[in-house]
Amino acid sequence: MDVFNHLMQGFAVALTPLNLVWLIGGSILGTILGMLPGLGPSTGIALLLPMTFGMRPDTALIAMCAIYYGAMFGGSRSSILLNVPGDGAAVASCFDGYPMARNGQAEAALAISAIASFIGGLIATIAFVFVALPVARFALRFGPPEYFCLMVFALAATAAISKEALLKGVIALVLGLMFTTVGLDFQSGVPRFTFGSQELQMGIDFVVVIIGIYGISEVFVNLEHIAQQVVRPVQTKFGRIWISMAQWKRSIWPILRQTPVGFFVGVLPGAGATIAALMAYNNEKQISKHPEEFGKGAIEGLAAPEAANNSCSVGAMIPMMTLGVPGSGTTAVMLGALLILGLQPGPLLFEQHPDVAWGVIASMFLGNIACAFINIPLAGLLVRVLAVPPKLLYPLVVVLAFLGVYTINFSLMDFYLLVGLGFVGYLMKKFKVPTAPLILASVVGASMESSFRQSLMLSDGSLGIFFRSGISNTLLVAAVLSLAWPFISDWRARKKRENSVDIPIE
Amino acid sequence: MRPNALVGFAAFFVGIVYAIQAFHLPKAMLGNPWAPVYFPIGLGVLMAALGLLLIVLEAKKGLRNLEGVKRPKFQASSLKLIFGAAGLCVLYALLFERVGFIPSTLVFLGALLFLINGSKAWKLNAVVTLGFTFGAWYVFVRLFQINLP
Repeated sequence: MDVFNHLMQGFAVALTPLNLVWLIGGSILGTILGMLPGLGPSTGIALLLPMTFGMRPDTALIAMCAIYYGAMFGGSRSSILLNVPGDGAAVASCFDGYPMARNGQAEAALAISAIASFIGGLIATIAFVFVALPVARFALRFGPPEYFCLMVFALAATAAISKEALLKGVIALVLGLMFTTVGLDFQSGVPRFTFGSQELQMGIDFVVVIIGIYGISEVFVNLEHIAQQVVRPVQTKFGRIWISMAQWKRSIWPILRQTPVGFFVGVLPGAGATIAALMAYNNEKQISKHPEEFGKGAIEGLAAPEAANNSCSVGAMIPMMTLGVPGSGTTAVMLGALLILGLQPGPLLFEQHPDVAWGVIASMFLGNIACAFINIPLAGLLVRVLAVPPKLLYPLVVVLAFLGVYTINFSLMDFYLLVGLGFVGYLMKKFKVPTAPLILASVVGASMESSFRQSLMLSDGSLGIFFRSGISNTLLVAAVLSLAWPFISDWRARKKRENSVDIPIE
Repeated sequence: MRPNALVGFAAFFVGIVYAIQAFHLPKAMLGNPWAPVYFPIGLGVLMAALGLLLIVLEAKKGLRNLEGVKRPKFQASSLKLIFGAAGLCVLYALLFERVGFIPSTLVFLGALLFLINGSKAWKLNAVVTLGFTFGAWYVFVRLFQINLP
């Protein structure tokens, strides 16, 4: 009953005219940004961040969430029509979405991806309502050592995506933490790595890091291909965007089966929507009676990953809002934006600002409905954006990026940092060093160091404080396990291969 | 050289330089003087150790053994575009506060479009530059009430 009352209050907040306008506007913007290859939700939110500075925190968070969901809906449009995913999470939608469009079923593909996203997002939001409060209440038991261990776990899980990339992931993570040490140390007032520059005393804003590493570097990477880029024709004329009853019957169970998978993957730090979508695709292929149809335009192969990546994006909001620790690049950007607005996400958010917390949760229901409306009846209109040539698009992205960072600190130093970080991101992408750990570290780094030092003050300098509570120990074990997991799974696979004996056929 | 080994060398170098710089940071006047330095030194040492580990792991495979390794390619034509764009970004930073948002953005975006979209499409470039610059000024200054120089 408690939850129901809170939710009703949340709807009252989300349904105010201003919030509703931003919810719909954010959903449209997000859909467009999600469609454009190279501009995923994290870059999109980072670029549009200055828009939120004049807003109330609830409006800002609702707008950012709407952009996030819009991008998750929109990402599949270019997967289906161009075979180029709008963002990483939409990669699995290429596998069957594009063949469907090639087979003359573009309308059904666009419709089922939006329907699956809607159902996935809706079910995940209902789960969010029931999970958020217990997690937030549990998180009230966290002190500085537990928070430090939680951040260690979140960072370790993000860095340990694969065995090959593990070391490079941890290197990226440490680099991100290094960025956070620039500027005045807020506990002692000591300037660190400022090299005498007054502008660096306030530190390197993580928004600059995010836009540089994600946005500018993406432009640099795309400049490489721009000369040879062949403009692909985009289908912009459609029949009725809807599905038949037979297609619905084939899709509904994959949607319902893969939504929980996406949600749990989202709650875990590090895994992210791309992994959720790929897992969902593989799960459905494995249990399908017609696995041979996958990759050739099977509607289940599109419905399952779409449901999973949207439920994952809702799940990813849980650690961000209830614990104050982001589990993905996008939620890291949102967390950072909230800090700029003077709001500290975490367990106290539900106690001190229930209007914001529940307003956002209520807006998830409304945002899903708005995105479904935008992505089904208006799909034919919005996909015209895909016809904008990249040669025009990327120069505009660069100007938008510069304007975005300027409005944060009104400092020209950020312009130079942006270019430098753009190069760092470009080289990281060329050498296949994952960038997500760097982003996450640059957002949580300052509070991580602060928790670390507060813990040491509490224990008179003894590191033993990190091993005293059950929560800390569990989190540290989880961090070690997530770092070791790529090796363990590799070892298991090798063992399995060794144990399987080839039986010669006589 | 194997690309991962290059990453290892870069990490090792950054870690060492950062750790040395961290060691020479000013100490706190109150409380434990080393308190603001512990975390950065730890990061520097960790970075150098990770870099070294990556080098050692790659050395086991042979630093110059490039079999099955996809090396990142840097083509002169694309580097020209990237460095050209980066140079224009620096020029934008130099002009932005000196001449103001509208003139500097007209120059920057115009030049960027000429560089990337080519001079043949000059009419389109000019329309996009004018439209976007004045549009952005209207949105930021008038709608969001954000002061631009």
